[in-house]
Amino acid sequence: MNNERFEDLKDAYVLDALPEEERRIFEEFLAAHPERQAEIDELGAVAGLLAFSPEELEPTPELRYRIMEVVEAEAAPRHERRRSVLAGLADFIGARGLAFGAAALLLIGLLSWNLLLQDQVDDLQGQVRNSQSQVDDLQAQVRNAQAQQTQTVQLSGTWAHQGADAEVASISGNRIVLVADDLPSIPEGQTCQIWVIKGDVPEPSGLFQPGGTQTAARVTTPIKKGDTIAVTVEPAGGSEQPTTDPVLSAEL
Amino acid sequence: MAERGRQYLILADEDLISLVEASDSEAFATLYDRHSRVAFSLAYRMMGDRQAAEDLAQDAFLKVWRGAGSYRVERGSVRTWILSIVHNRGIDQLRSHASRRRTQERVEASAPRSQPSEAFTETWRNSQRDQVREALNTLPAEQLKILELAYFSGYTHVEISELLSLPLGTVKGRMRLGLKKIRNFFESRGATVPR
Repeated sequence: MNNERFEDLKDAYVLDALPEEERRIFEEFLAAHPERQAEIDELGAVAGLLAFSPEELEPTPELRYRIMEVVEAEAAPRHERRRSVLAGLADFIGARGLAFGAAALLLIGLLSWNLLLQDQVDDLQGQVRNSQSQVDDLQAQVRNAQAQQTQTVQLSGTWAHQGADAEVASISGNRIVLVADDLPSIPEGQTCQIWVIKGDVPEPSGLFQPGGTQTAARVTTPIKKGDTIAVTVEPAGGSEQPTTDPVLSAEL
Repeated sequence: MAERGRQYLILADEDLISLVEASDSEAFATLYDRHSRVAFSLAYRMMGDRQAAEDLAQDAFLKVWRGAGSYRVERGSVRTWILSIVHNRGIDQLRSHASRRRTQERVEASAPRSQPSEAFTETWRNSQRDQVREALNTLPAEQLKILELAYFSGYTHVEISELLSLPLGTVKGRMRLGLKKIRNFFESRGATVPR
């Protein structure tokens, strides 16, 4: 690609209207000529204005509910991870506090620099108290989340053998959420679909994309003892019936 | 509304996105409430039915939640970033569907009626939207149609050329003129293109 070709294709590029191969070549050229990025950003802002042109429509409240359910389910484990980090930090700071305390006593006796060192000790002890307060706060949040989470069932299957850790959780008795760690990625144009199988009849019960290290998705079909819950990989948008073997499943 | 919830309302989008990056679900809810209407409207314009639009909006907002750390303030506003996620995911979905429901007729069909905006704070955004519409109204129909086929329906320039039986050079030329005219609209009023 040369400058002339770049000029020829840049409008289609910002409108996302280049075929895959041309887009790849264009982006390679752009990567090699970063001085042209600002021009593309500016042109992209013009194209992006089209997003504001449709008549505004109100999404349903259910959409907000569905999204926030996933967000809140994912937020709790993240807070728990943060708690572990903070707990480690508190231990570290605590150990340093003791070490500095001992050093301060020694130096007070030997060098009479007590005031300076005492200030340092006070400062570190303050950090420990502050960290402990954060840890207590986060532990309370975790205990609260655990109290609400009344029942969980572990899922097994090929993805579990590959290292995925997935479970179905019943929260507050009526909300069912699938929570998973380390799910494998799936090809573009495909989605994970949850099924609740009652007898021999699978019911579509939610879609999700494995994202990052943790994934959570709402199970939209009510479940009861004896049902089976399964996850398959389906074409984007989901299927009426499973078209592949389950990668995760559990009998409830 | 709780005191904490009220505090979120006065935060700028850039502050909220930092809190979202730190897994603050209330900050995310505030961002959702601010931008869900325009994001859903774009999703609806692209997908053509409510259910598909809700699925797309859900997909995009969860990407915002999980990928807040990838937002870069120098590339544009949070609102523009969210809309670009909706747009990119929408294009992916439109192109991946084996049975494309995109038709020229749907593009030409009139958009559904909007529901009235309730929030006073939306006023400036409505004004921005009005300006964009005014800019688009200055475009000749053949330029606007090509921009819409590309942006909302996910057609490549080659596909548009085939669909409209036009030389590829003509399609590219109309894209170029259309975008230039929108930019000129803002510049002629002494305004910069909103980002």
